[in-house]
Amino acid sequence: METISRISSMLETARELTLEAAQSATLSRGTAPDYTSQSYSVPHIKKLLDSRNEREVLDGMRKVISIMYRNDPSEASLNFFSAVVKNVANPNVEVKKLVYIYLVHHAEAEPDLALLSINAIQKSLTDQNPQVRAMALRTMSGIRVPVISQIVSLAIKRGCGDMSPHVRKAAALAIPKCYRLDPSSLPQLIGYLSTLLGDSQYFVVGPAVAAFLDVCPDRIDLIHQHYRSLVKKLVDMDEWAQLATLRLLTNYGRKCFPRKTERVNKSTTKGFYEDEDDEVADNPAAEDGTEVEVLHPDLELFLRSCKLLLQSRNSAVIMSVVRCFLYLAPPDYIAAAVGPLVALLRSPQDIQHVALYNIVVVALHHPTMFAKYVSHFLIHANEPSHIWCLKLELLTILFPHCGLHWKGVIISELEHFSRGTDPDLVRECVRAIGRCAQNDMNTANHCLRVLLSQVSSLDDTLVSESLTVIRHMIQQDPASHKRTVIELVKHLGSTTNPEARATIIWLVGEYAGAEPEQNIAPDVLRILVKGFSDESEVTKQQIVLLGAKVYLHHLLLNPPAEEAEEPKPNVSGGITVNNEWADEQKEERQEEEQQEPPKEDTITLLWRYILLLTRYDVSYDLRDRARLYKALLSDPRSTQLASLLLLAPKPVPYAPSPSETRKDLLIGTSTLVVGAAAGSNGLKGYESLPIRVKPGQEPDSRLRDVKNDMAEKTPTTAGERLDKALRDHDTLAAPASGPQKNGAATNAGKGRTLDEWLDDEESETEEETDSEEETDSGEEEDEEESEEETEEEDDDDEEDDGEDDEEEETDSDRETVKKESQRLL
Amino acid sequence: MSSEVDALYIYDEYSAPIVEHVYRSRPPSAASILPLYKAHPAPRPSLVYLPNAAPPVTVFSITHSNLLFLAVSEVEAEPLLVLEFLHRVIDVLEEFVGAPLLASKLQSSYDVVAQLLNEMCDAGIVCNTELNALQEVVEVEGWMGKLLGGVTLPGATTPNLGSNNPLKQQLAAASLAQGPAIPWRRPNVRHTSNELYVDIVESLSVVMAPSGRVLSALVSGTIAFTAKISGIPDLLLSLTAPGGQQAIARKIDLPVFHPCVRLARWREQPGELSFVPPDGRFILAGYEVDLLPMDPSLDRPPSHMEKIFLPAIVDIRKSLGPNHSEFEVRLTLNTNFPGFPPAASRPSAGRNGSGTSTPSFLAGGSGGGGGGGGGNSSSPVLEEVVVTIPISKSVRSITAMQASRGEPQFSPGSDVLEWRVPTKDAGTISGTATLRCTVAGYQSVDEGFDDPAETEDVEANANLLQGYYEAPTSYQTSGSAKDSSSRKRKTKKKKTKKSRSTAATTSTIPDTPDEPSDPSKPQSPVPTPPLQQQQQHPASSSIFHPPARKTKAQLYASLMPNSAAVSFSVRGWLPSGIRVDSLNLDPRRSRGLGEGVKPYKGVKYLCVSRRGVERRC
Repeated sequence: METISRISSMLETARELTLEAAQSATLSRGTAPDYTSQSYSVPHIKKLLDSRNEREVLDGMRKVISIMYRNDPSEASLNFFSAVVKNVANPNVEVKKLVYIYLVHHAEAEPDLALLSINAIQKSLTDQNPQVRAMALRTMSGIRVPVISQIVSLAIKRGCGDMSPHVRKAAALAIPKCYRLDPSSLPQLIGYLSTLLGDSQYFVVGPAVAAFLDVCPDRIDLIHQHYRSLVKKLVDMDEWAQLATLRLLTNYGRKCFPRKTERVNKSTTKGFYEDEDDEVADNPAAEDGTEVEVLHPDLELFLRSCKLLLQSRNSAVIMSVVRCFLYLAPPDYIAAAVGPLVALLRSPQDIQHVALYNIVVVALHHPTMFAKYVSHFLIHANEPSHIWCLKLELLTILFPHCGLHWKGVIISELEHFSRGTDPDLVRECVRAIGRCAQNDMNTANHCLRVLLSQVSSLDDTLVSESLTVIRHMIQQDPASHKRTVIELVKHLGSTTNPEARATIIWLVGEYAGAEPEQNIAPDVLRILVKGFSDESEVTKQQIVLLGAKVYLHHLLLNPPAEEAEEPKPNVSGGITVNNEWADEQKEERQEEEQQEPPKEDTITLLWRYILLLTRYDVSYDLRDRARLYKALLSDPRSTQLASLLLLAPKPVPYAPSPSETRKDLLIGTSTLVVGAAAGSNGLKGYESLPIRVKPGQEPDSRLRDVKNDMAEKTPTTAGERLDKALRDHDTLAAPASGPQKNGAATNAGKGRTLDEWLDDEESETEEETDSEEETDSGEEEDEEESEEETEEEDDDDEEDDGEDDEEEETDSDRETVKKESQRLL
Repeated sequence: MSSEVDALYIYDEYSAPIVEHVYRSRPPSAASILPLYKAHPAPRPSLVYLPNAAPPVTVFSITHSNLLFLAVSEVEAEPLLVLEFLHRVIDVLEEFVGAPLLASKLQSSYDVVAQLLNEMCDAGIVCNTELNALQEVVEVEGWMGKLLGGVTLPGATTPNLGSNNPLKQQLAAASLAQGPAIPWRRPNVRHTSNELYVDIVESLSVVMAPSGRVLSALVSGTIAFTAKISGIPDLLLSLTAPGGQQAIARKIDLPVFHPCVRLARWREQPGELSFVPPDGRFILAGYEVDLLPMDPSLDRPPSHMEKIFLPAIVDIRKSLGPNHSEFEVRLTLNTNFPGFPPAASRPSAGRNGSGTSTPSFLAGGSGGGGGGGGGNSSSPVLEEVVVTIPISKSVRSITAMQASRGEPQFSPGSDVLEWRVPTKDAGTISGTATLRCTVAGYQSVDEGFDDPAETEDVEANANLLQGYYEAPTSYQTSGSAKDSSSRKRKTKKKKTKKSRSTAATTSTIPDTPDEPSDPSKPQSPVPTPPLQQQQQHPASSSIFHPPARKTKAQLYASLMPNSAAVSFSVRGWLPSGIRVDSLNLDPRRSRGLGEGVKPYKGVKYLCVSRRGVERRC
């Protein structure tokens, strides 16, 4: 989605904007602070900070912050540390905010002075104003002085039980900070986290999930009982909380929901999915008795609430949903997400770029789903290279899945851009054409024709790249490309690009010399040899190689059995390699001889002529090569070694899509975008998804039945209430059908007994209470109460065994309301 | 894996760091990271990995109004999350400091910037980016004064809350205690004049083949909304398209919504947006419309194409004139917008249009300072028409630019030719304008081309020239005879690059008779060398193409542009045809708005195409 700033700039005409910019530039020149002036001098600001007048203090603080942010060495604002710390207890909220910002920024540099402020901050933790409490908690945890970690931990504990969700949110956000200060406080922190994860406010749960991911992402056992409430709150959370929750639940799903398939026939699926979207119903119903992935009802609950997020304005959310579907859900879910994923291309270019990387990876997994959107990936002339590069790749990935019409369009597009002036674009386009041909045999011939037409182009890059691609194509299927080689040979007359000539000559030697009835290689060689001296070195090398091959083929076809006298001069030539003069003499003599008795055929003659030419070439390399071939072919009767060397079958080249290497990276990550540069393990902190749990090894699904229904608070507006009603209507269907399916599908997977599971629960709660005892020192009662309440409730639910969800829900709902009202009173 | 932002840096247009906000750990400083970032070659992607920084970091970047925003992360982070965060930062800063963002504005309100950045992201975890919520938390001194003095951004709310208003403090505290009821709307909004504005902006992107055939036509639309209304209003916005309510469901594709929109309502009745808006200006929804829906699995080109109306079309013809060094750009403007009476026959503005908008909507006025008159919904206004032609780097200069209208501009060394066509003259806008240009390559091109003896010398010259001296094909001699055959093939394959491909394809097989490209077998084309022919004359060197003579035409052909794009904006017209049907306030569900208060409503349509209509050639 476009951002406001971009839309605003579209709505204003360009002229208006520049006018405005100029205007405000002149205006702000007057108001821009002049840091050299009297009012910014150190004594003056100190005086302001020490003033009793709140306004003056505020003014002073603003100036300090300005100095702090200015591009100065930070010592400048450090001068005020003591003066600022004095104001930490200032009752004015505005002043406090600025002081806190200053403290967090500088505390590391002046830990001792910072500690002086801790007391005052602690006092603010019990302020009446929740905003002040939240700020204090936040600041305290932000001060990076390890000594205070215990105090911070206590403050978090207090914050967890605060009445205001803002403070609880601050507490959640403080947990990772405290963990970084002192990793040994982890057990306590996990205790707080499990409280916060069960909070009734989505507002609090989101940051709690983020903290969980930061502190102890592997403690899946903490999530079981909150799973359903997390799924329920997912839609209501803000985007950032949704992101964290999606990440958590995707990991959770991989660990807790094995992939199950079942042979299902039509009737049962129909009954099951009756009230759902048609796409869900369609797919399993389509084929009778085929393997169909069966979703655990809890997983399905999650996936369905994810679907609602596909219309989020936040591109990262959409990407997370796609990730979740890609790694967790059957293909029909990902089909629903493909559209929104492609819609990310409407975003600003920076987001487009990242989105394209991910689209490519998803398209590599499921190309057919993207075929519908192929027109979105056409390249525009003004796009930067990193964008068109990915679009090109997408076009080639989708190419085999389009109809002939679009195939034609894609090839024409590629052809068009391959005639452009940007060498990179040209190169990529030609390669793309090659990939199209490789992936879709039906159109390979057409692609080939396009490429052949490029060979005579004026553009160097285009010609050499086209030939490389053509060579690959011929190598992949030499049998059907005999004529292509001949076609290419014609271009030898017009192409002067050395690389191109070399490639063509190599192809001739490889594919046009073998069969006697189609053997054009000797002819080509004959013509090339005429202009040998004018060729470039690369080309010369290939000519020599071609000569060697032609000669070898000749020898193989006409084994020189009867020519007994022939070997002798050859052998001697081979022996006296070092004596070049003598050698040449002999050859010259041979030539004379041959002219008289036409025993020696033309090909042998040609070969000798080539050797002669190369002997006097300026290039060492070329001369060495010639000698090698000469020695190799010196004995016309022993051709085994030579054929091994020269006629060995070459490995068939295969050009995969460039992103094929990234295919296994997790989508939505930086590592995916950075690619190989990030090293083999990805960027620091990159983790692939956990391996999907095998059926039978997953945790018991009844762990999730523990209803911790602090649910949602009663909505305050009419609109909210309506929304809730609608949502409930939507989502209730799934849990209602939950237990039935549960019984049907997961019985097999139950490895643990109820007792074992209860044991687990107990040990968990024990841990919680332990940590509470540790930190119990200066507490107030109400928090304790509320925590105990939740525990009690847990116990209740355990006894219930979660059989009758409906009733329980309403019960606990009522309870919640009661509790809430008590609290508020 | 934890997604976190380690630091946020902002640099001004001279690459001097102006804001440096570190969220956690110790990332490289703003000054040290910039040279590493700049070392990355020029079109920099939004995500750059800097392994040489200490510690190695990934850098996410956005440039906005000449300011460079960098977010730095030491560990793996979700790139989209960070980029979205940066965009929100820009939005929020613009709202608080005033748009357009300028370095001096940021510098003069560091205290606000500090509070905002502090509030939006806590120790690397993005936590609060909702504008209304931030307005609750961050106070701006003399906010109103700054806004009125500095900018007159229409979207800015009129705050009527003094910073030390005790009542407000109390109310805020109450909301803090309970948690926000509606996270995106601040409570207790009061406005003296209640106003609602809808701005629908669509940006058009069309790709046309050289034949003039449209390959794709996509519209991406955005609905911006400005709500300045007291209390908690519950609004219902209905959209309509030609063809009624069913049409809109078909038209609007892949919508995304602000969280305030009730998705259930949309799914039941597409085109109806029911929501409680945030206070102020926000993006309500985004959507796209495919003007040319095509089934990708079709084997044949669709026989029936939807007719697309484009107010500006560009066409380009190259290799003209005696030297083949000229090209002509033809711009066709058409202001006879469908659904509106023709521009010529209509009396001057003021008459209310063709009844497409309800009378309660007063035209224009919502957005731009001073742009009020332009957006009259009854008469779409075509503006800012600019033709952009990418020019090859091997072109030294363009001489003799003759435009029938407007002023073309090309500075040597730049890679585009820009041609502005004024649309505000008296008289009709519709019609055709042409621009004829002569290109000149670098000097040596002109010297050497007819002298084979010099070829070698020139080849040793600049790399740039290599392309002109090899493997030339004769565009002129080979073309016409084979046209028919290859064109047949083209149409069969539905090829779209007519003239150029024809020349090229035929030139590769000049000695080929027409039979191999038999149109009846387009899928099994044999690349056509008649083998026997060659075997018959092995003695001659005719199995190679003869090296053709280089002609001026070829030399200039490589200097010719191969695409042109036109940018324009139209006020009062949307390519998708979507219109606002009604905007109603639900009196039963709304609260806090006085009895009988009728908010002022305005609608504005704008179609923008930034180099969006692109013609290949």
